[in-house]
Amino acid sequence: MILDLHTHSVVSDDGRAKVPNYCQWIRARELPIEGFVLTEHRQFDFASDYSALARQFGLTILKASEVETEYGHVLVFGVTETLTQAFDFADIHLPLAQVIEESERHGAVPVPCHPGRKRVGMAAHIDALGVPEGVRIVEVFNGGSRGEEDRIAAAMADEQNYRGIGGSDAHIVSHIGRCATRFDGAVGSEGELAEALRGGDFEALSYREQA
Amino acid sequence: MSVNGITDVEFGDTLPVFDPDTSLANVARFVEAAHWNAPRFTDHEAARAEGLPGALVPGIMSQGFLAAMIHRWAPKAEILYVDTVFRAPVVVDQPCHINGVVTDLDEATGEVEIDLTVTNEAGETRVFGTARARLPN
Repeated sequence: MILDLHTHSVVSDDGRAKVPNYCQWIRARELPIEGFVLTEHRQFDFASDYSALARQFGLTILKASEVETEYGHVLVFGVTETLTQAFDFADIHLPLAQVIEESERHGAVPVPCHPGRKRVGMAAHIDALGVPEGVRIVEVFNGGSRGEEDRIAAAMADEQNYRGIGGSDAHIVSHIGRCATRFDGAVGSEGELAEALRGGDFEALSYREQA
Repeated sequence: MSVNGITDVEFGDTLPVFDPDTSLANVARFVEAAHWNAPRFTDHEAARAEGLPGALVPGIMSQGFLAAMIHRWAPKAEILYVDTVFRAPVVVDQPCHINGVVTDLDEATGEVEIDLTVTNEAGETRVFGTARARLPN
């Protein structure tokens, strides 16, 4: 099963895409993804229910979060209500160690995203802060990467023996599906997604056109 | 190809790519007219001294390019808004391309939503956003 693990909707402050339009776009362009995960910035979107939309388009639509730490941005998959009470998702200075510890305590999976990016990526902070404990997966393909960012991410993943995921980091409709992750089995819920990531049977994919 | 009205438009339609003039001479003309004249827009060395990668195309000029692109595609369109997110600088004298695609439309109101991206020669997104425009029936 192929899922785009990193997308934003209008629920995020810089997101400009409406979720129905993502679905329409995926089907109109016959994209090879079977669903996507909405990783809204600094929050978990409990309010939105996309189940009817998912059925209408035959897509899997899941929810997660993108939080901010001293090592940059981190996707958190498998978010539960109790996890959102364990730390303040809106805090832009979260300690990565706390995000990792609390995520694992609550069955969630933290994944530093666009780690090769300046300032908001993990690699930029390793010289000053050291290699963080507990990271097992990083985003190696990000649809918004510029220059050497994905190469830096992949090199870091190789060096630290991290698994890699892919996500488009879409903020507008037409950017969905630029990168994705293939899972060996079916993933139908946030819990199953966290379980699949823990299991390690996945592969990062990039569909970006090479300039 | 240009369109005259909403009935000419379908979801997913791609607007003709627009390669705007980002030359120093053109930017200098723009900032003079806009009363935004500052060395960071018209002098590469002065901009680099401020830590920038070179002289910048002003954000409002980029937005003007986006509006111009929409009107090249749909000359009769009334642009309701152009909403942009600036991800990286658009640098003067460096070619860029503007792509647009229709990602929502309402035939009843004649309104379309357009995804817009400004990319550099390497295909990297510098600016993205959406515009909403109303086309005649």
